[in-house]
Amino acid sequence: MTSPLLSVKNLVVEFQTGEGITRAVNNISFDIPAGKTIGIVGESGSGKSVTSLAVMGLLQRPAARIPQGEVFFNGQDLLKFDESQMREIRGNQISMIFQEPMTSLNPVFKVADQIAETIRIHKSVSKKEAWDRAVDLMNQVGIPNPAQSAHKYPHEMSGGQKQRVMIAMAIACEPKLLIADEPTTALDVTIQKQVLDLLHKLQQQYQMSMMFITHDLGVIGDIADDVVVMYRSNVVEKNNADEIFTTAKHPYTKGLLACRPKLGANPRRLLTVSDFMDENGVEKHISAERVVVFDKEQEKEKSSDILLEVKNLVTHFPIKGGLFGRTVDHFRAVNDVSFTLKKGKTLGLVGESGCGKTTLGRSILRLVEPGSGSISYGGKDITHIYAEELRLLRRKMQIIFQDPYSSLNPRMTISEILTEPLNIHGVGNSRAERLSMAKELFEKVGLKASQLNRYPHEFSGGQRQRISIARALMLRPEFVVCDESVSALDVSIQAQVLNLLLDLQEEFHLTYIFISHDLSVVNFIADEVGVMNGGKIIEMDKANNIYKNPKEAYTRALLSAIPKGITKANLSALL
Amino acid sequence: MKENSLWKDAFRRLVTDKFALGSLLIVLTYAIVALLAASGLIAADWAKEVGGSNLPPSTEHWFGTDIFGRDVLAKLIRGTQIAMSVGLVTSLIAIPIGVILGALAGYFGGWVDDVITWLYTTFSSIPNIMLLISITMILGKGIFAVYIALGATSWVTLCRLIRGEVMKHKEREYVQAAEAIGGGHFRKLFIHILPNVTHIVIINTSLQFQFAIKSEVILSYLGLGVQGEPSWGTMIDDAKLELSRGVWWQLAGATLAMFVVVLAFNLLGDALRDSLDPKLKGK
Repeated sequence: MTSPLLSVKNLVVEFQTGEGITRAVNNISFDIPAGKTIGIVGESGSGKSVTSLAVMGLLQRPAARIPQGEVFFNGQDLLKFDESQMREIRGNQISMIFQEPMTSLNPVFKVADQIAETIRIHKSVSKKEAWDRAVDLMNQVGIPNPAQSAHKYPHEMSGGQKQRVMIAMAIACEPKLLIADEPTTALDVTIQKQVLDLLHKLQQQYQMSMMFITHDLGVIGDIADDVVVMYRSNVVEKNNADEIFTTAKHPYTKGLLACRPKLGANPRRLLTVSDFMDENGVEKHISAERVVVFDKEQEKEKSSDILLEVKNLVTHFPIKGGLFGRTVDHFRAVNDVSFTLKKGKTLGLVGESGCGKTTLGRSILRLVEPGSGSISYGGKDITHIYAEELRLLRRKMQIIFQDPYSSLNPRMTISEILTEPLNIHGVGNSRAERLSMAKELFEKVGLKASQLNRYPHEFSGGQRQRISIARALMLRPEFVVCDESVSALDVSIQAQVLNLLLDLQEEFHLTYIFISHDLSVVNFIADEVGVMNGGKIIEMDKANNIYKNPKEAYTRALLSAIPKGITKANLSALL
Repeated sequence: MKENSLWKDAFRRLVTDKFALGSLLIVLTYAIVALLAASGLIAADWAKEVGGSNLPPSTEHWFGTDIFGRDVLAKLIRGTQIAMSVGLVTSLIAIPIGVILGALAGYFGGWVDDVITWLYTTFSSIPNIMLLISITMILGKGIFAVYIALGATSWVTLCRLIRGEVMKHKEREYVQAAEAIGGGHFRKLFIHILPNVTHIVIINTSLQFQFAIKSEVILSYLGLGVQGEPSWGTMIDDAKLELSRGVWWQLAGATLAMFVVVLAFNLLGDALRDSLDPKLKGK
């Protein structure tokens, strides 16, 4: 048997922080055989990225230290290499793709120059040769018109294209090992699918080994041969991908598999990791009623009152041009959209970035001024009402944003954030009363009241999103727009937040518009789904019908992009 | 369980930096000296003749005496009072102008922005020292003219910084969230955005302060600043004639006093930037 390309043995990584030493990676071992793909799965903070940085020798010194362990690459221990030896390896034999394509490229250089730079660092070739090779690589990663696109700057490319450029840079020197750290998390599902296919193709073509890091077990099924599951700094399960997906042993792995909403039938509330094990990692028995599949169609119509009616709505943004920045044209972000939404129901809006779904949500709330058409809420036309009336309306209509990091004011404590809406609208008679209202809701979204005086940066992404939800519900609204509210979260956290949104909907009789690029999530939470493309709703139907009988080609493309959560081999066996 | 605001975190980072802590102590010392001088507790009788003319430094008079037999140290202390008051008053004039104009321009954009941008580009296109001289010419010589001249010229940098920062923050989701819960322009701008840009005011003030002190010295040296009272600038001006006769202590004292405080403010400004500016933080 040949020895593996990369072999990590008993690796420990510790960080020196203000409060003492934190162990980020605790005694983990795994192998990556030549020409194989290993998936490393775990939630944020589980130590998966730290592991990859340790392999690359990119850990921040002196904060991080490696007291124990070995990382063998081609039989040599990388941990014993000095900086100049590591530079020889990095980019040449081991290269890396990062999560965020928006910030990983240097905005002031042409993309082909950036690819050529990597080549020229490691190989003695002329500028011209490096450029030609860069164009060839751009062709291989599927960038249209590579010869022309080579002259583009990063801001002229879409997110998916930038990620392709990053991949071209990573494979420029034909590395033996490619580390991909959440390469598709920042992308729409359709683009994610294309990038995954591309990585798979390149891996086969160059016979590379690949270390694929992700929080989403569903993504890995499409691409990995073996899977390593990490939980709280430890490896909890290692197996080949088929075994993981069919007979997972560790309760955490089972939880990860169950928490992604399926396209077909789902239980009433998504299963989460906490259904499979308790706080201390001890396996729990799942109650039978939690796994009963729930059919939305069976549910009786609770009401037929129409809460929201949108007619021929158009929202456009001016395009400035010419010498004096005059408005030369308009971009129709939302183009002639009509729909009705009944009380207590959820409308899902799905589409890729730039399809106008976010603008539609904000136009309804009048956070963006609509151009023409009408919006009526509770039978009243609100398209043109003025500031004071609008302010009163804000009590009934709320929004939950996508990014849990920028949607909370970093200079305010949580109790200030939560009581602010009450202050604005004069709800509650005293400070104490308002505080107790904040406390009640804060506990309802699953957080501890003792944390109310903390600041946003002291919470995790999932907790922050719960705080955003609590703020939106402080005024007891009837109608909430959830704008990609779970897209920035790990799948395991996403399931918890989706469950919370459903619980709150039931308790407070909320009506939702749920916006997402992920059809499986929308399908789970919504009663009706509208598919958006180019500012229009191109298809609208009951959630179940959309995935059973999609009418438009675009809808079918969205459906096929969703990670299936089963391996390629199994999938072809099924067909 | 600890509850940390970003300010407390920043302060903790600041005091663990030895240079920053040293600079802060120096600045505080100057401030205390200036306060004591202003209240007449020390150096009130600076004009009194305490000994012979041009006595070199001794244990009795640390910085010697000047041509009229006055204690140079006492004059330096009075000069400190002038310098610190110029720094303080110009900041009090420049900060409100810079912050309010910058915030309005950044927040509202459109014609408001056009007008304010026009105003500060016009101001910054005139060479600073020329503007200072012309304002003191119009208002007449004296400390009051120095306050106005420096205050009226030094809001430009701050205004530009605040404008850019407010433009960045107004697109953030927390500001939109404030609008979604029914907050108006006032609340969005003054309660949500401004606390997130105050670090710029603090950093800018510490650098502004030393600029004002230097400018006052230059104006006084040119005879356009304070009249009839000792300032570091007039002391340097007096000393330039005495230097050929070997009387170096007045020049040395004034230069040293200015050097230390300007250096301290510069180091403090850098340290404040490191500890307050979120962009430079590890994450």
